[in-house]
Amino acid sequence: MNGSEIFGAWVAVFLTLGIFSYLYKDNPFYKISEHVFVGVSAGYWMAMAFWTQVQPNLFGRLWPTPEGEISGFLMKAWYGIYNFFGLILPSVFPDGGIDKGHGHDPHFMYILPFALGIMMLLSVASKLSWLARLGIAYTVGMAAGLRAYAFLNSNVLGQIKGSAVSFVDMPFFSLTGVSIFNNLIILVGTITGLLYFYFSKEHTGNFGKVTRVGIYFLMISFGASFGFAVMGRISLLIGRFTDLISYGGPTYNYASLWVLLVMIVLLAVWTFKGDKKVTG
Amino acid sequence: MEKFLDFIVRAGSLDRRYIFLVIALVVILPLFFPLGLPIRPTTSSQDVYDAVEKLEAGDKALVSFEYGPSTKPEIHPMAVALLRHLFERDVKVYITCLWPDGQFMAMEALQQVADRQYNKVYGEDYVLLGYRPGAEAVIKGLVSNIRKVFTVDARGNFLDDIPMMANVNQVGDFDYLFSASAGYPGTVEWVQYAADPTGVTMSTGTTSIQVNEVMPYVQSGQIVGILGGMPGAAEYESLIGQAGIGTSGMDAQSVAHLVIVGFIIFGNISFFVERRRSKKY
Repeated sequence: MNGSEIFGAWVAVFLTLGIFSYLYKDNPFYKISEHVFVGVSAGYWMAMAFWTQVQPNLFGRLWPTPEGEISGFLMKAWYGIYNFFGLILPSVFPDGGIDKGHGHDPHFMYILPFALGIMMLLSVASKLSWLARLGIAYTVGMAAGLRAYAFLNSNVLGQIKGSAVSFVDMPFFSLTGVSIFNNLIILVGTITGLLYFYFSKEHTGNFGKVTRVGIYFLMISFGASFGFAVMGRISLLIGRFTDLISYGGPTYNYASLWVLLVMIVLLAVWTFKGDKKVTG
Repeated sequence: MEKFLDFIVRAGSLDRRYIFLVIALVVILPLFFPLGLPIRPTTSSQDVYDAVEKLEAGDKALVSFEYGPSTKPEIHPMAVALLRHLFERDVKVYITCLWPDGQFMAMEALQQVADRQYNKVYGEDYVLLGYRPGAEAVIKGLVSNIRKVFTVDARGNFLDDIPMMANVNQVGDFDYLFSASAGYPGTVEWVQYAADPTGVTMSTGTTSIQVNEVMPYVQSGQIVGILGGMPGAAEYESLIGQAGIGTSGMDAQSVAHLVIVGFIIFGNISFFVERRRSKKY
């Protein structure tokens, strides 16, 4: 076990116990852990997106490694821009173009997403923030179009096809008892659940009784979701405890035990002193 | 009797921190002293197992890692178990990631299973294509042309230089698809943009909280089987006969559930007793 792994374990233990300490009360350990988590997450996501998409797939297509000498005024000017960027950020724009398997000719079409991306960043400049709307409009429009078909196909048609029972060929009557029961439950649950969200008619009388059945179906569904949520959270707790137990061994210099001890002592001291920084 | 009811009402307003402490204890103790409770696979886990069993040596499986450290205890055990099953059957494994931290989860799982346990060769038996941002747009790209999305793998090798990438151009070229998903983008997007349009057999492993959302796709036959959270992982481990992290956590899971159910019942009794008293006075 090398030093960096042991150090990493100590940091992991501190952050885990720091977050758990919130269960006692809000305190500086929790604040530190929370801010470190948010900062590291944002930085990590941005770095990953840049080095796995923007640099290889955008810049790599705009300025691929040219085959042989660059000829022509336009190409020389185009790679002149690249060389200028290379002077500022040589790791992003290495000498001789970016070789990520996109061929040797620039894909000028990608100037469009590049420009839209820059426009979105301009939202921070008050005078030019209107340009950001173009980028956002493109993203929203593209996403809406892309999702509309997929939802219609998988969530509407696919679900209807999967749950519908054909009466024409009479397979309903050839189903087993359990399947008939399940299909009836789906039928009743779907119809009463949908009727519950029909607000053009007052939920009274027979209609009210039907929508009441819909509420029961919804409550059962929420109950199942709650049960699964509890199960998931317990699994995550088991995962953290498993790590804390392994970090509490001699290999990691008893990291869990030491950090836990120091935190308990400091929390106790702050509580008894009534430190104003520790808010309950 | 009245004293007992007094106790129940008082206990109902117990400081929540005592409940946290009890939950911590009932989770930790079984980790130190395992009970060895039996694990019975559900139909949905069995379906995933059967789908993999139908694959033959040399078939191609696309496995997507869509989770990170925050959901690792739930998804990672099932990802490891699935990789074990796939490599056991000599299926070629192609890995993509729609979450940035999914790449590191995949690297860890591959190191454990492909390198150490099965001595598989990178580029011939498995390949880590890596992460690409773009969510459903990435899946859509993979369905039409993988090389539009990935020109290099996670190690920087050109796709055309990787032997097992020969004749693999789109999702339709795969025999099996598995999404190890902890949210968006994940299982739902793979169903909508890959499995439904191409007809490739797809299974999934999700966090417990997602099971309700994904189950309709399983029941309609759009997904073949689902592994739900840590119990799903434990069931799959029992099916392949290799106990792992999922199995070791199930005792703690079961005991914790029992205690939580107890708390819920007790809390309800306390609530109803208190309500009856307030009506009375």
